[in-house]
Amino acid sequence: MKKSKIFQLALLLSLPVSSYSQTPDPGSPEMADLMRSNGKIYVVVTVVSIVFTGIIVFMLMLDRKIRRLEERRSK
Amino acid sequence: MGVLICTGLIKTDKSLIAQQIKYLFLKEIHVEWKQKYAFNGLLLYVIATVFICYLSFKQIIELPTWNALFWIIQVFAGVNAVAKSFLQESRGLTLYYYSIADPRAIILSKILYNLCLMLVLSAFNLLFYSLFVGNPVENLPMFILGMLLGSAGFSAVLTMISAIASRAGQNTTLMSVLGFPVLIPLLMTTIRFSKNAMDGLPWSVSSSLVIILVSLNLMVVALTFLLFPYLWRD
Amino acid sequence: MLAKIQWWKWLAILLVFYTVVAGFLIPVPRLPILHESIRNLFFHVTMWFAMMIMMIASIVYGIRYLSDSDPDNDLKAEQCIRTGIFLGILGLITGSIWAKNTWGAWWVNDAKLNGSAATMLVYFAYIILRGSLDDEHRRARIAAVYSIFAFTMMIVFIMILPRLTDSLHPGNGGNPGFGTYDLDNRMRTVFYPAVIGWSLLMAWITEMRIRVKRLERVQDELH
Repeated sequence: MKKSKIFQLALLLSLPVSSYSQTPDPGSPEMADLMRSNGKIYVVVTVVSIVFTGIIVFMLMLDRKIRRLEERRSK
Repeated sequence: MGVLICTGLIKTDKSLIAQQIKYLFLKEIHVEWKQKYAFNGLLLYVIATVFICYLSFKQIIELPTWNALFWIIQVFAGVNAVAKSFLQESRGLTLYYYSIADPRAIILSKILYNLCLMLVLSAFNLLFYSLFVGNPVENLPMFILGMLLGSAGFSAVLTMISAIASRAGQNTTLMSVLGFPVLIPLLMTTIRFSKNAMDGLPWSVSSSLVIILVSLNLMVVALTFLLFPYLWRD
Repeated sequence: MLAKIQWWKWLAILLVFYTVVAGFLIPVPRLPILHESIRNLFFHVTMWFAMMIMMIASIVYGIRYLSDSDPDNDLKAEQCIRTGIFLGILGLITGSIWAKNTWGAWWVNDAKLNGSAATMLVYFAYIILRGSLDDEHRRARIAAVYSIFAFTMMIVFIMILPRLTDSLHPGNGGNPGFGTYDLDNRMRTVFYPAVIGWSLLMAWITEMRIRVKRLERVQDELH
């Protein structure tokens, strides 16, 4: 029950994010990193997501291993 | 005289913490008076350090250096002073005192005693410092107030820390390791306050610093008061 | 198997993933000096927030230990502080890099920086204190007392002293982190989930460490 609510929340949260993108503003010279947002930023996001997913998978596996040890201990 | 103090302590009603503090404070002074070598040792430490500063600098022209060195000497002398006051009590005597007195009275009396000790040390520090290196302080009363507040703060913090360290094996190194980080902000505020005193700045500029110092002192003493009984449950 | 992972861990994964993606993509206020590095808010400042939460948890467990002497509480308190120290180190390193980039120096004479460095020293001393004691109950009790002291000092160093002595920096818009920017409303939509997400993630790591230590303790008792 709780998990399905969280997945709904995930869906809701991801919708507005995909519509965001850095639109170039011709009036302000301060943001010098606009060329990043012309496609290259998504490479960064993809890379970081992959790294993050890898770390999370590792943590989930650790959690499982510890749980196995605990269950074996309590027998 | 020690016997008198002890009987006075036993006769005191346990609920009168103030009375106990008075007796314990007298006891600390009495012990110190008998074994003068501890106090003289600290005095010698201060004089030696000041002399080394003089030899290294010959004459300190820059005000910030003068101020910073003065307080660094004060901190080191204080750490040594408080460490000695805890370490020189034998275990048996310690147990005896803690069985007949409220632990909070014990720690408050120690804080008071260390405060007086540090005031005396800082007075000597200032004296010899001025003698060797010169005294460019413009607003002396304010500087002395800074010394008072700083010594109070150092005494409270160092007494609590050395109480913790003495339960953890009577190690002087541990006391320095535990004590210095906690002292840093107190030291910074005190240095800034005495620098203002040296420059002769008006009172309004430093009033916030004084409030900080006083409230820090009060907070540390209150914390110590609350936490010390847990330390002595042995 | 995956069903046995608690709900808050899934929430942590979700929120941090969201932070990582949205942190790069959402539009941010255009400010001089900072430029895009303002996005660091989601990664550097959150470290400090998570550290505060860890330290709060640790004194809660410390006080619980002092009242009922359950060694499990002491175990939890210690692991929370260890994770908090890790977060503080991360915060200092990332803050240093950010400072070098925006202010030109690895370290500046700022009250909050000095306060956070002093806090780290105080907690390192906690670890050393634990290491110097052998008797379990005494160690737990003294460590709990010192951690209460250390926590109070931390609040003073990081929150109170910078506000009192830094008359140059005005208070920020709801963000106790220092800086001269105001928290944009768009950034808030990523910042608050980020704080919760990173804290939950660190809580997960701490929980795993606690479970491992419990297993080690059981194993030690059997021998």
